[in-house]
Amino acid sequence: MQPVSVSMALPGQARQRVLRWVLIGILAAALLIWPLFTHDLFYTHIATLVLLYCIGAASLHLLVRLGQLSLCHAAFMGIGGYTSALLTTRLGWPFLPAFVASAIVPGVVALALGPILLRLRGVYFVMITYSFGELVRLLFNEWQSLTGGADGIFHIPPPHPFFATSREYYYFALVMAALCVGFTGRILSSQTGRFIDSIRESERLAQSSGVPVLRFKVMVFVLSCGLVGMQGSLMAHYIHYLSPGAFGFSESLNFLVFNVIGGMQTLAGPIIGAVFLVSLPEVLRGWVELQRVIYGVILIVVMLYAPGGLVMIGRRTLELLPIGRGGGS
Amino acid sequence: MSINLLVPIVFNGLSLSAIYVLVALGFTLVFGIMRVINFAHGEFAMMGGFALLFFYSQLGLPYWLALPLVAPTVGLFGLVAERLVFRPLYAQELPSMIAGLGLSVALADGAVVLFDVHQRNIPSPFDDILTISGFTFPEDRVVVMVVAVAALIAFWLFVQYTAIGLALRTVAQDREMAEAQGIDTSATYRITFFLATGLAGLGGALFAQIYALSPYMGLVPLVKAFTIVIIGGLGSVPGAALGGVLLGMSESFLNTFYGASMAQFASFGAIILLLILRPWGLLGRPEV
Repeated sequence: MQPVSVSMALPGQARQRVLRWVLIGILAAALLIWPLFTHDLFYTHIATLVLLYCIGAASLHLLVRLGQLSLCHAAFMGIGGYTSALLTTRLGWPFLPAFVASAIVPGVVALALGPILLRLRGVYFVMITYSFGELVRLLFNEWQSLTGGADGIFHIPPPHPFFATSREYYYFALVMAALCVGFTGRILSSQTGRFIDSIRESERLAQSSGVPVLRFKVMVFVLSCGLVGMQGSLMAHYIHYLSPGAFGFSESLNFLVFNVIGGMQTLAGPIIGAVFLVSLPEVLRGWVELQRVIYGVILIVVMLYAPGGLVMIGRRTLELLPIGRGGGS
Repeated sequence: MSINLLVPIVFNGLSLSAIYVLVALGFTLVFGIMRVINFAHGEFAMMGGFALLFFYSQLGLPYWLALPLVAPTVGLFGLVAERLVFRPLYAQELPSMIAGLGLSVALADGAVVLFDVHQRNIPSPFDDILTISGFTFPEDRVVVMVVAVAALIAFWLFVQYTAIGLALRTVAQDREMAEAQGIDTSATYRITFFLATGLAGLGGALFAQIYALSPYMGLVPLVKAFTIVIIGGLGSVPGAALGGVLLGMSESFLNTFYGASMAQFASFGAIILLLILRPWGLLGRPEV
C-alpha cells in the first residue's frame, strides 16, 4: 500500500511547488518593475534599506533557528562595514575584493569566538553576546587611529560609478539580497537545515544521533556573521558614511525584533519583519522617540499574544478564509 | 605602590562595589527565583534616579526621607511591570527575556519623551570632604557606601530571618516542591520583583547622584549586572556580592592606571576566561 500513497501525494506536492515558483516569479517581477513607475527617490531609498536589512535579518534567522539569540549581530555588521570602508578609502582597494573581505573578516572573528561563545545556551549566550556587542562598539569608538573614532569614516565610494544613485543601487541591493536570502533558504531546506532544527529542539538528542553539535553551531555562526558583514559593507557603500553609533545594541536588537515580530519559525518571518519595521519608521519620521516606545510595546504584545509573529497571524487569518484551507501546511 | 595612592583607589573601588552589588543583587534575585532575565533592570535603576530627583530636588523633601522613599516607589512600578509583562510568561525563559527587552526600550524612550534626553545632576547635600589621618574622602561617597551596606544588611536579614525570606529561598531551590508545601509561589514572585526593582532603584539613585541622570543611563548598570552575575554565578546572591566587589575594585585599579576603556576590555577578557573555565560562575552551581 505504501507506494500508492506516495504516488497519490505527488501531484499535490508538485502543484504546490509550481504554485510557489509562480508566486516567487510574480514577486520578483514586481520588485524589478515597480521603481520604473515612480520618480520619488524616497521610495527607492526605503526599498533599498529594506532589502539590505533583509540580509541581516535572514542571517540572524540562521542563529535563531539554532536556538541561539545573538545580541551582537550589529557588531559583526560593523566589522564588515569597517573592513570594506577602510580597505576602499585608506588602501584604495576596488569594491569587489573589499566586499569579499567584508564577509571574511567577520567570519574569521566568529570562527575564533564561536567555539567559546556557542558553548553557552539560552540566556547565558544572550548575555555574553550583549557584552561582546558593547565591547566592539567601544573598540570602534576608541581605536581612533584606525576607525576615526566617534566621527566615523566619510566619503566611502559607491561600488561602481554606475550605482551612485538610489534607483541603480536598488537593483544592486535587490540582486545581493536575493542571493543572500536565497542562500539562507537553501541552507535551511537542506540536510544542514534539519541538523540546525535538531540542535534547537534538543542538543543532546542531536549529539547522540551523530550530529557534531558544536562544529555545526560554529559553522552556522560563521556563515551568519559573514552574511551580516556583507550587509555592513553594502550599507557603507550606499550611505557613503560609517560611524560606531550605527552598530550598537539598539541595532542588534532591531535584527532580533525583525525575527520575533515576523515570526521565528520560518525564513519568511524575518523578511516580513524587516519589511514592516524598516519601512514603517521611515514613513513615520516625525516621532522618533514615541516610535521606539511603540516598538517596545509591540515587542511585549507579540510575545504575550502572538509568539509566532506576523507569519502566524497571517496563517491563522488564511485558515479562517475558505480559499486558504487547501494550501495550508 | 605607595599607601597614598592605594587608599583612594581602594576607597573608590569600595564605593563602586557598593552600587554594583545593589544593582546586581536584584538582577540575580529575579533570575534565581523567577528564572527571568530582566532586561529592563537598568531602566528601573534609571527610574530610581528620577524618583530621587522628584522627591529631593523638586518636592524638597529632606534627603533622609527622599532616599528611602525611592526604593518602594520604584518597587511599585516594578509590580505593575511584573503583572503586565512577566506574569503571563512565567517559566518561559526566552519569551520573557524578549518581552523584558521590549519593556526596556519602552521605558527608556518613554523617559526621553517625558523628561527629554539631556543629562541632569542631583545636587548632593553632602559636599564636604572628610579628612582622616591625612587621607581625604568625599563625603557623598561615604554616604553612598553607608546606604548601600545598610540596604544589603537589611536585605540579608529579611531573607535569612523572616517567614517570607524562607519562602523565597525555598522557591529558589525548587519551585514545584515549594508549591507542594503550600507556598504561594506567585506571591513570592511578586515580592521578589518588588525587592529586586526597589534595590535597583536605590542603586540607580545613588549612581545618578555620583555620576549623572539621563533616560539612557540604565545601559551601564545593566552591563555591570551582566558582568557581575557571569562572574559570581547567575542566580547566586553571595556570587553577586563577590562579583560586585571584584568588579568594583578591579575597575578602580584599572581606571587609575590604564583608563576607563581598558577597564572594560579587561572585564570582558575576564568574562571570556571564566566562561571557558567555569561557565556557571565562581559561586554558582552547574546546571544539568
